[in-house]
Amino acid sequence: MRQSVRSAGVRRFAAVCLASAVVLVSAAPAAAASAPVYVPVLVPLTGFLSLEGTSQRNGAMLALGLAPTEAGVHAEVFDTGTSPEGAVTALERVIGRDDVVAIAASMLGTQMLAMRPLAEAYRVPLITVSGTASVTGPDTRYVFRFFPADPVAKRAHARYVVETRGFRRPALITQTTAYGQSGRAHLLEAFRSLGAEVVADEVIDPTVRDMLPVLTRVAAGGPDVLVLHLHAGSTALVIRQARAIGRTWPIVAGSAMHQPSTAALLAPEELAGVCAETASSPISEDRPGMAAFVAEYRARFDSEPDAFALGQYDGMNMVLDAILGGARTAEAVRAALAEGTHRGLAMTYRSDGTGNMAHTVAIICYDGTSRRPRVVARAGDPVAPPDPTGPAEPVAPTEAAERTDVADAPPGR
Amino acid sequence: MRGFGGSAPDDGRKAALPITVGIVVWLVSGLVATGTPYDLRVLTVAGIYALGALGYQLIFGFAGALSLAQGSFFGLGAYVTAILGTRYGLDGAATLPLAMLVPTALALVVSLPVMRLQSHYVALATLGIGQVVSLVAIHWISVTGGSNGLAGVPGFAVFGFAVPRGVPLCLVVWALVGLGVLGAAWLGRGRRGLVLAQMRADPVVARSLGIDTTRLGVGLFLASAAYGGAAGALMAHTQHVVSPAAVGFGMMVSFLTMCVVGGRGRIAGAVLGAVLLVHLPEWLRGFAEAERLLYGLGLLAAIVLAPEGLVGLIEAAGARLVGGRRAPGERARPAPAAPLPAAAAAPAPLVVERLSRRYGGIRAVDDLSLTIAPGSLVGVIGPNGSGKTTLVNLITGLAEPDAGVVRLGDRRLSGRAPERIARLGVARSFQAGGLPGGLTAAEAVVVALASGTPARVARACLDRVGAGEVAEVPCAALPAGARRRVELARLLARAPRVLLLDEPAAGLDADERARLAELLVAERRQGRSLVVVEHDVPFLAAIADRVICLDRGRLVFDGPAAAVAADPAVRAAYLGCAP
Repeated sequence: MRQSVRSAGVRRFAAVCLASAVVLVSAAPAAAASAPVYVPVLVPLTGFLSLEGTSQRNGAMLALGLAPTEAGVHAEVFDTGTSPEGAVTALERVIGRDDVVAIAASMLGTQMLAMRPLAEAYRVPLITVSGTASVTGPDTRYVFRFFPADPVAKRAHARYVVETRGFRRPALITQTTAYGQSGRAHLLEAFRSLGAEVVADEVIDPTVRDMLPVLTRVAAGGPDVLVLHLHAGSTALVIRQARAIGRTWPIVAGSAMHQPSTAALLAPEELAGVCAETASSPISEDRPGMAAFVAEYRARFDSEPDAFALGQYDGMNMVLDAILGGARTAEAVRAALAEGTHRGLAMTYRSDGTGNMAHTVAIICYDGTSRRPRVVARAGDPVAPPDPTGPAEPVAPTEAAERTDVADAPPGR
Repeated sequence: MRGFGGSAPDDGRKAALPITVGIVVWLVSGLVATGTPYDLRVLTVAGIYALGALGYQLIFGFAGALSLAQGSFFGLGAYVTAILGTRYGLDGAATLPLAMLVPTALALVVSLPVMRLQSHYVALATLGIGQVVSLVAIHWISVTGGSNGLAGVPGFAVFGFAVPRGVPLCLVVWALVGLGVLGAAWLGRGRRGLVLAQMRADPVVARSLGIDTTRLGVGLFLASAAYGGAAGALMAHTQHVVSPAAVGFGMMVSFLTMCVVGGRGRIAGAVLGAVLLVHLPEWLRGFAEAERLLYGLGLLAAIVLAPEGLVGLIEAAGARLVGGRRAPGERARPAPAAPLPAAAAAPAPLVVERLSRRYGGIRAVDDLSLTIAPGSLVGVIGPNGSGKTTLVNLITGLAEPDAGVVRLGDRRLSGRAPERIARLGVARSFQAGGLPGGLTAAEAVVVALASGTPARVARACLDRVGAGEVAEVPCAALPAGARRRVELARLLARAPRVLLLDEPAAGLDADERARLAELLVAERRQGRSLVVVEHDVPFLAAIADRVICLDRGRLVFDGPAAAVAADPAVRAAYLGCAP
């Protein structure tokens, strides 16, 4: 069943690509005659964020790799590591070129903060999936974020916990990193405004491996739900060790839990009662466009796509749309991103005036029988409680047809 | 720009200077003239790291202390700059000096306890400092921005005049590196450089030569903090954002690697190491996933193939170059000799009163009293573990007595630091002499000269002990007999009133012993008091006025040398039973 859906998706995806290519070849002589443009991909491929950075690279390169020849796009990948200095050096290497029109940039907030002044100085748009709030702002004209910012994502996270699930005594575990501190601040504020009492507020370093002390302190608070905002490794360790000591708290985690690579660290039964906030969950949806994306991603990279890959994929497709629409300079691409609307695979993207393009948050839940989560709610949608007796393959193809905010196939090509 | 304590001959060091300067000047000028913004950015960052590594070279390379705080000083400078720049709008005229001052103040607070520690304890203590600074950076969110750090740091400007990115900023950074090089060269030049080599080779020996290693170490620690803070300030202005990564252990490892790969103890090594380590990842970018592997292999190869660092290689090449030009048999011009220094004060008796020292349950020295008259030569014998070396350590301040007191004339020695006791005219040798291998014999003797004494006095000291011929030979190349003579010359350079020699005849052949005996007798005739710890009783019998024998820390014999062999207590001490 699943295999046949995948094959059909691939066939449709290929057909759409072929048809799009034919149309573009005949309809875009101006683009064909234009000089090639350069779109470098600067992401962290080494260091503590290498998994996420690799997803980002894969998403960007999948979009750029599927671009028709007529787009004249030349892409190149550079590893930024995880230091701000490494990111700026990589950016300086490419940003001075005359043919650069946009740059896929690191999802690491501190790197984006370091790269931003250079992008503003050279007037080249950066396309990122960083969630760190301060990456975009009123003074930022050249950063475009294709992932919900922390204020949006954490508000939805808290609302799902309190309003949808009805929990009133959340215990919060966050990380000491930039990601953790930013999310913690927004979660605490959201819980306060929703009237929930945070009974435990634990902050842990990513190097912590023994979660028993933290879980013991959390238990002392008598929580009715465990809310996590941790990186992938810590998320898996907290869940595993909580289950190992017999704690059956419902768990609503941050976006790291939606990653297939995180779920792979846990047994399906350990995932029972675990939900997470994310921008999207590509492997959870069977609508044709998404299935084709997933199939192509697996074929090219031999791994499972996540929301970071999809967000970057959508972002680069919006850039490609602009290029194919005649934007052959960085300023023209920036204008297209700032003013346009893009129906991506994950959601519809439109700038809020400060470069925030993504405004939809999904909630996924695992049912304890597989590592494939089900999308149970989206921010803005009526947030419905999860169905614990739901099927193992819960996403019906009809669900995609009901969504009007997403593309049904890779757009434009 | 010499390398203190390196093993390359002096010719090599001197030849390395123009070669190294040439490489750096060529690189900087070439890139500034023709480089892309990217080239200039990498070169600018390399300059910033070079400044930080120069500072680290002071404490790690010069003082020989494995401090792990340089990353903290760098990050602290960066945070000071970011806070002042983003919140108060201050530019480099204020941020740069304050970014140097704050880490220096921190270094001052922690230095006195830390710099008294030895080797790995210094590493652990400074690692702790780094952890504290890192935790503050992460958790004091209202001030440091937490893990997100502080963004929007303004570019480098001085009194309102902005220094644009590219060539101007690169030149400013490298000009500051030039100043840093001059400062480091001043700190390590001349006799201070030689003293640092001794301190690095053996700090205990250095203290016994009257060198205040704590003061020197603290001074260099403060200087390293100032350099680190300056580098951090420049990085903040260049990068416009500061995060806890700036104070992380990774930053510390970078500085350490730069100094080791470039050449420990060499100023040029810090600069070349920084240039190489910043550029190497950029050169390897084309290798994609293999980049990290190649980077690691490159570093490994550098350390294996050039254990003295890049500058060590250049020095070796320079030595071959210079050596090849020099005619066979031609020697470096020896320095002219000067008169020996006179004793610092009038002769005085060395008095030991009821001295005791325990190590756990062992009485190393037990209620020991004796007097060494001026101009006498006293031999000390006893089986292994009888307390001979402990006695010398107690006299010279390397060990604290549990009870009793040591006096030199009317001066109490007990309770004083070893270097202060040495300055009162008490000189001692060690079983392992602690000569710095990279210094020549003459330089090793210069180390011991009192401040203000002309360096050429060293040559007279060497001549006095018959070691003038080896004055220009590196200590590492000296045979055992020559080493003993150089050690003795170094003690004479202190112009001591009392000489304590710990097994000076060990490892010498018969001729060398005879020569040593003559030397010791000659020194006694000069009015010095000599205490000679030896196992070779016939050697002592020939020169000593009297001999004392220790057994389990107690004095069992004190009398003429001729009577010692027949004394029942001495025989019992050695044979383990009553005769």
